[in-house]
Amino acid sequence: MIQLNNIEKYYANKGIKNYVLRLVTTTIKQGEFVSIMGPSGAGKSTLLNIIGMLEEPTYGSYEFLGEDVTSLNERKRIELYRNHIGFVFQAYHLIDEMTVYENIEAPLLYKKVGSSERASRIADLLDRFNIVAKKDLFPNQLSGGQQQLVGIARALAAQPSIILADEPTGNLQSAQAEEIMTLFKKLNQEDGITIIQVTHSEKNAQYGNRILHIADGVVKEDVAILS
Amino acid sequence: MFKLNLKIALRSLFKNKVYAAINIGGLAIGLTAFVLMLLYINHEESYDTWSPDLKNVYQVREKHSFFSPDNEDHWQEVNDSRMANLVRENIPQALAVTRVTADWGFSSGYSVKIAHANPIMVTGMKDADSSFFQVFPYEFLQGDSESALNAPKSVVLKESLARKLFGTEKVLGKTLKVLMWRNDPGTDLTITGVVADPETPQSVSFNALMRTGEEDKVPESASNFHYCQIYARLNPVADTVSVNQSLLKVYTDHQKKSLIKRKLEYNEIYKNGKIPGLKVIPLQDVHLNPPFKLSWIEKLRPVMGISIFLLVISIINFVNLATAQSVQRAKEVGVKKVLGVYKRELIAQFLLESALQSIISLFLCVVLIEVVLPSFKHHFNVQLSFWLNPQLKMMLTQLFGLFSLVTLLAGFYPSWVLSNYNPVAVLKGSYESGLKGVLLRNALVVFQFVISITFIIAIGIMHKQSQFISNKDLGFERGELVNIKTNYDESFAEKLRRIPGVQYVATTTQVMGNAFNVPEEIMYKGKSINMNTVTVSMDALPSLGVKVLQGRLFAKTYKQDTINTVILNEAAANLIDEKPVGKSYNIKDGNKSLVFQIVGVIKNYHNEGFDKAVLPTIYKVTHLGGMSSTNNLLLRLNTSNTGEIMRKVQLEWKQAYPDYPMEYKTMDDIFADLLTENKRFLNMIILFSILSVSLSLLGLFALSTFVAKRRTKEVAVRKVLGASNLQIINLLNRSFLVLVLIANLISWPIAYILVKKWLDGFAYRIDMPVYPFLMATIVSVVISALTVSIQARKAANGNPVHALKYE
Ligand SMILES: Nc1ncnc2c1ncn2[C@@H]1O[C@H](COP(=O)(O)OP(=O)(O)OP(=O)(O)O)[C@@H](O)[C@H]1O
Ligand SMILES: [Mg+2]
Repeated sequence: MIQLNNIEKYYANKGIKNYVLRLVTTTIKQGEFVSIMGPSGAGKSTLLNIIGMLEEPTYGSYEFLGEDVTSLNERKRIELYRNHIGFVFQAYHLIDEMTVYENIEAPLLYKKVGSSERASRIADLLDRFNIVAKKDLFPNQLSGGQQQLVGIARALAAQPSIILADEPTGNLQSAQAEEIMTLFKKLNQEDGITIIQVTHSEKNAQYGNRILHIADGVVKEDVAILS
Repeated sequence: MFKLNLKIALRSLFKNKVYAAINIGGLAIGLTAFVLMLLYINHEESYDTWSPDLKNVYQVREKHSFFSPDNEDHWQEVNDSRMANLVRENIPQALAVTRVTADWGFSSGYSVKIAHANPIMVTGMKDADSSFFQVFPYEFLQGDSESALNAPKSVVLKESLARKLFGTEKVLGKTLKVLMWRNDPGTDLTITGVVADPETPQSVSFNALMRTGEEDKVPESASNFHYCQIYARLNPVADTVSVNQSLLKVYTDHQKKSLIKRKLEYNEIYKNGKIPGLKVIPLQDVHLNPPFKLSWIEKLRPVMGISIFLLVISIINFVNLATAQSVQRAKEVGVKKVLGVYKRELIAQFLLESALQSIISLFLCVVLIEVVLPSFKHHFNVQLSFWLNPQLKMMLTQLFGLFSLVTLLAGFYPSWVLSNYNPVAVLKGSYESGLKGVLLRNALVVFQFVISITFIIAIGIMHKQSQFISNKDLGFERGELVNIKTNYDESFAEKLRRIPGVQYVATTTQVMGNAFNVPEEIMYKGKSINMNTVTVSMDALPSLGVKVLQGRLFAKTYKQDTINTVILNEAAANLIDEKPVGKSYNIKDGNKSLVFQIVGVIKNYHNEGFDKAVLPTIYKVTHLGGMSSTNNLLLRLNTSNTGEIMRKVQLEWKQAYPDYPMEYKTMDDIFADLLTENKRFLNMIILFSILSVSLSLLGLFALSTFVAKRRTKEVAVRKVLGASNLQIINLLNRSFLVLVLIANLISWPIAYILVKKWLDGFAYRIDMPVYPFLMATIVSVVISALTVSIQARKAANGNPVHALKYE
């Protein structure tokens, strides 16, 4: 599903190239649950952003679903966002002006899903995440954990084939974090959704089936977890 | 999607109530000023558009050949009545030609008597020949256009006048007795038609159109003239260029023949590049091109400029606040982008938001217009209405155009900035990804303040100038001086003199409010000089209370005063001699040469607006006690009880002229009238400046709110590090004050140039003062510092813990 070849990324500062990623080559197959780990500043978020096509690598090639991403036009990329990729952010990033319901509905509107289908899918998600009672509240009326649940519900609404999550539990206490990790594991196993997450927590990484260790922009270790 | 975006737009409006109110309210004010201007312009442009047939109607204009104060050629609409026949006989394209009395503007109307009712003054009574309705396509409600004016002594009324006089428009066959001056025995006119009032204004306007027969005659002697306006209806396919070519040829021939008959030399009159001229201009151009004075568009130009500026200021507020606020929306944009939204969809969303705000402003503006229209109408003395406007459809189209323009202007840049937000930047938490936006915002703030400061400077200087004018020595005593609108009659004057409190009764051709300039060429020591001549009665100069500089005024004791002595004003004396008293000059009268002796010099006195310099003038007395048709009867009272004395004068009038109402004005009122136009202009500038300054300040206020909010964290950190409140206020103020100071530097030369131009329009003016410039700088700096400080203080006083905890 994802094929990275010799990805490099650097920022030029006063003529000096500061490498963030060096010769990253890896393949992520459909249905994998990958955790990216490493010290602060290692380049984890940058790698995830490149996978999510939010940033462009300075060098190297990247294929998503067999298509070369570097030559992808904006139209095609937006189509991928609408149909294949769901993002979950550490800071939730819900839209403050929209209610819980509307936040979850937004990607469906962009995907032009019919209204009855929309209603049933949202009802389903609200139910699944146990936030039916909160559907008319605005994000600032929710706790951090609840906001993150809405964020995940939003990512799932469009039924993506892959979820990209950058420290999804970074702002949460461990009980809530556990809940979300269990949910990810379930989505991965039952619905076959590919998940790539960045995490600092060894414990959270154990929910997946593969860990990429990164340090100074280089993939140091690539371990499979056998459950 | 649309519904959700609309909901979001409304929510974000409510969330930022103050900001939204400033934005929308400011825009509504800017729009109102602009729409009022549109209304006025539409009104002026609608002149003579009430019938499609008016396209074929033309006005005849003759180039004048006399000396004018500004020494320029003017095409005048008052022509020699012979021109009507000239056009009729020589221009085959002219289907109909009509003569209409000129608007002299002296008399405000005629006295009309119906049966035995009291006489009333009716304005807009015009005299014409029988072809009037063949040229002007009025719609007849009673009678018909073909035959209405067939017989002399007939009159056609407008429906509105018919209703006013009789209460109905069924008035055919009734008679009106019309008196054109106070001892006119009167003419009985039969009503032969009633026409509908056109929907739009007319440059040839009338309430009643008479055919007294005066406009049918042509003076027999070539040296006698009757002046009138001439209109022609041309064949729709006629080419005006070729019509004008043949007119010029015919006219030149006519002038040559006429001058020979009058024993004058063609080459004497048309020398130094002067050439004769006669042409037709489309009726629809008449209102825009009045001869001898500024057209409405020239008068309106400064106001148009100002209202456009006001609109621009409010749009700038809109743009500035929207871009400043966009920081708050950055997250939404970033998230939407990773959910898969096209850039154009985002632009559409934000345009929708600005459209929403401008449509609310538009509604507010329509309400505001309803509120201010009455005083606007009063101020500009025009009949305007919004909803009942015959051009409502056009107005609405213009409003829609304006709405789209404002939405695009105000919304496009912010939407573009917003839609360009890079989602990664947002995800990384840095929303400050637009130094470009800040630069533009600062430039716009400077621009706004340049406009406002220019206004403040202008008010200061204009105020000084108008004070200067109102306190200026007029050269005559305007208190306790009354001008009755009538000619001098010795026996009536004698009766008035007997009323206690009346000191002088006199007449003159030149007095403030009604000055008639007669040019004359005099020969002094072999030099020919152009002068203005004024005819007065013996008592006129004392009753005006003019100041004698040399020699004496006219007096009965000098027999020759009614024959050949003259008095000069200072301006005339300056052209002649330092000590002119006792000297004499000649004037040519045909082959004879007349000699006049100068007996006195008086101080210049004003009789026209302060934009015009007092003309060099010669005063003469006639043995008749004044020219018969001055239309001025001056009463100098020696008591301040004007009302009481005028009641007695009124009684004498009623006895002498029972069929003609008396009209008079005090010189104080006439002087006030003279100043109104400038007062109006000044008031309007003041109003607009207050609006523009407050809009700019509101914008600054809102902008500083956002800046303070955005820098909350920085302020909190600085406080924790030990900065004092004052230091923090200074920190926030500094960036804005620099902008205001830059704006001041830019405004100074602009204001100087603009106000200089305005001042140059006055023949009597103050020197450019310095203090309005300094005042504007101090005012703008102090007020904006206060405005920003309100916000800065809030930020400085806040508890830093809050800001640091929730970022
Ligand atoms: N716009 C930029 N300009 C220069 N350097 C940058 C920029 N963005 C990121 N970097 C650098 O790239 C490196 C990797 O950043 P990245 O955000 O990927 O780290 P990370 O592994 O996610 O760290 P953390 O665990 O703290 O989130 C850092 O050293 C950072 O300084
Ligand atoms: Mg990171």
